[in-house]
Amino acid sequence: MTTVTSRFIFLALGFLGGLAAWPAAEVILSFQGGFPSYLAFLTLLGAVVGALMGAFFGAAEGITSRIKKRIPSGLLLGALVGCVGGALGALVGQAALWLIGGVFLLSYRNMQWVVLPVSRAIGWAVLGVFVGAGEGVRALSPKKIAVGVLGGVLGGIVGGFALEYSRLLLPGFAFFRLVGLVILGLAIGLFYGLIEQGMSFGVLRILAGELKGKEFLLSERRVRIGRSPRNEIALPSYDDLADLQADIRVKKGEPVITNLDDRVAMLINEEKTQERRLKLGDVIKIGSARIFYKYG
Amino acid sequence: MTRHGQRLLAITILLTAGTWAASALTVSIAQIDSTGLLIHQSVNAYVSVTDDAGEPVTNLPEGAFSASESADGVRYTTLPVLRFEPSAGANEGICFLLLIDNSGSMYDAADSTPTSDPAKMKITHAKAAVRAFLASMTNPRDKVGLVVFNTRYRVLARPTEDKERIASALDQITKPVPEEAYTELYASLKAASQEFAGIRGRKAIIVLSDGENYPYFSHTGKPHPEYGRQVFSHTESITANQEEGVTVYGIDYGKGEIMDRNLRTIAQDTGGRTFEAARGEDLSGVYEAIHRQVAGEYLVSYRASTTPAEKKYLQMAVKDQGNETSATRFYFSSVVFGLPLSSLSPALVIPFVVGLGLLWLLTFVKLERRPGPANLEVLQTRVGHPMTRILPLSGTKTIIGGSRSADLTIVGSPQVKQEHATILFDPKDKSYTVVGSGDITVNNQPVKTRKLEPGDVIDVGGATIVFDDSKDKKQEKP
Repeated sequence: MTTVTSRFIFLALGFLGGLAAWPAAEVILSFQGGFPSYLAFLTLLGAVVGALMGAFFGAAEGITSRIKKRIPSGLLLGALVGCVGGALGALVGQAALWLIGGVFLLSYRNMQWVVLPVSRAIGWAVLGVFVGAGEGVRALSPKKIAVGVLGGVLGGIVGGFALEYSRLLLPGFAFFRLVGLVILGLAIGLFYGLIEQGMSFGVLRILAGELKGKEFLLSERRVRIGRSPRNEIALPSYDDLADLQADIRVKKGEPVITNLDDRVAMLINEEKTQERRLKLGDVIKIGSARIFYKYG
Repeated sequence: MTRHGQRLLAITILLTAGTWAASALTVSIAQIDSTGLLIHQSVNAYVSVTDDAGEPVTNLPEGAFSASESADGVRYTTLPVLRFEPSAGANEGICFLLLIDNSGSMYDAADSTPTSDPAKMKITHAKAAVRAFLASMTNPRDKVGLVVFNTRYRVLARPTEDKERIASALDQITKPVPEEAYTELYASLKAASQEFAGIRGRKAIIVLSDGENYPYFSHTGKPHPEYGRQVFSHTESITANQEEGVTVYGIDYGKGEIMDRNLRTIAQDTGGRTFEAARGEDLSGVYEAIHRQVAGEYLVSYRASTTPAEKKYLQMAVKDQGNETSATRFYFSSVVFGLPLSSLSPALVIPFVVGLGLLWLLTFVKLERRPGPANLEVLQTRVGHPMTRILPLSGTKTIIGGSRSADLTIVGSPQVKQEHATILFDPKDKSYTVVGSGDITVNNQPVKTRKLEPGDVIDVGGATIVFDDSKDKKQEKP
């Protein structure tokens, strides 16, 4: 799967996450008046929406890496992180909404078109931050958290505005929240993919074998290569490789590849090597795996 | 931070500042602080109660107050009061907007007779009164702005803490030409309500006028340069100021009977009052009276409802000697997710199931390419572009080059020769060999000829081409 396909998967998951979160949100919203406090109401609402969207994004890693074993744990962890993040996001977002509405309110006349959309967009951005960061928290990767936070902020702002303006431009339109949630999911997915790529040190493309054509973004400070599914670049079907065969670390802003298991030789551009700085266009051979290092 | 400092304004829109009951009490909700809404589910209301003379009534007991809320402004639910505190008005600054009538009659003497002596003109007294007012402002957090109006509405200074600026702005007030000398009182009061942009806390307009609303269009028949044929009513200025939470105080600069008959209503309905004043000392008394009124406000904290609404109406009723007077104002209660749908449809299950179902299907999607026959795939080109991206290898000889007749054509690259490289198939051992007639590299090593392995990367004049032959290899596997 190329990085382009991965981004499509992210988009699709964002869309589906929004789709699935919508009915849940509508059901909880319909009971708003029955809640004893806004705190309880918003916590539950945020948690449920966050958990659903987080679960969908959590499945992404398992789907794009084609390691099915990662899907259930990804779903669960994504849901958990999304649940906490969604609740926090809803509360912080609500506080932002009321704060902005209260303090920075320019005039009541501006409220419908400026204050409400701006403050709601901020609210959604906060929610987006937590939903987006979920995958990074799951993967314990600060870089992925940063990517998710940025993606979530941008996605949330775009989604928040979409939600607000679809409500304003289409009064009486029952699906405005669906539109907003779906755009929120799509935007988080889109920006997540874009930012992940923008923050990466390049792409490793598998040239032959079962995973031929699959591309991995070098977006973390350490990327492990080997047969174990725990690796960032997991090559389970390349039988001759060790569980942890090699790793790529970013040193002084440049990726350096190191062979960690001498039983299998590593060749870069046909030269046997133990450790080497990667240059764009390098061809890496480790056992039966062929990897091409390219930009974006 | 002080309790007052922590206070943040809710978006509050004063609807009716209280009805003027026989008991002569006027109730107004000066401010709604909903910052405790999220954590404590509580709303603080600062309630001002004034008597017939506009003096604050500060001795009412907790039992006199009752708070109720409504999502639609029609059906109200009474809510429990959590905290009650008399004389709890904020010590925060008040934002004043001085609205000075600069119509023709202000250049007459106080008895409305024409005069050419500036010392006798009402406008001169008004300016002196404003200077005295500025001098009497003791709270450094107070802000003041200056607006003059006649046919036109003109802002001389936006609300500022710099009183010097206001004093010097007074000098900009000059006698209007006859066309400009009308009194657009209601239109100006409405416009003035918008001058408090971004300002929280108590907001007050002090209008100094010597006469009644005297619109340009009604009296000349000509369209007003800005308002056209629109004539404003006093209720419009009431609504606009109520919406922005602005209290209007009227200062009569003429004789009582000339004062606009609706100014008193505008003032009362916005929680203010009118004063008959002609001298500067009187105006400093007005300043004190307003501060006294704010200081005398009651804090009524109640437990808010969670009923969904973009804005929630708060009705504060005050009972005194059997008479009940109430004020209604609304605050912003919108939640990030918006309002619930009017009705829930069972069809909502569909998107939920579809979403989960498609996710489940996604986990089955195999996006990898099936190992195909031996092929060449162009990954990237430095210059130009390939005519085909993936070329299955057939036959014994495959030519890569810039020529249109090549099997794999790279167009637009001067570095690629017409026939740059050839892939030869050896049927005996089913192997492929690349032979370069131009410069080529395989896995970044310059070669002339080289037997290819699956995954080898051939560079042909800047085009990166991957050779793969995974199918054959698989078939060879036992």
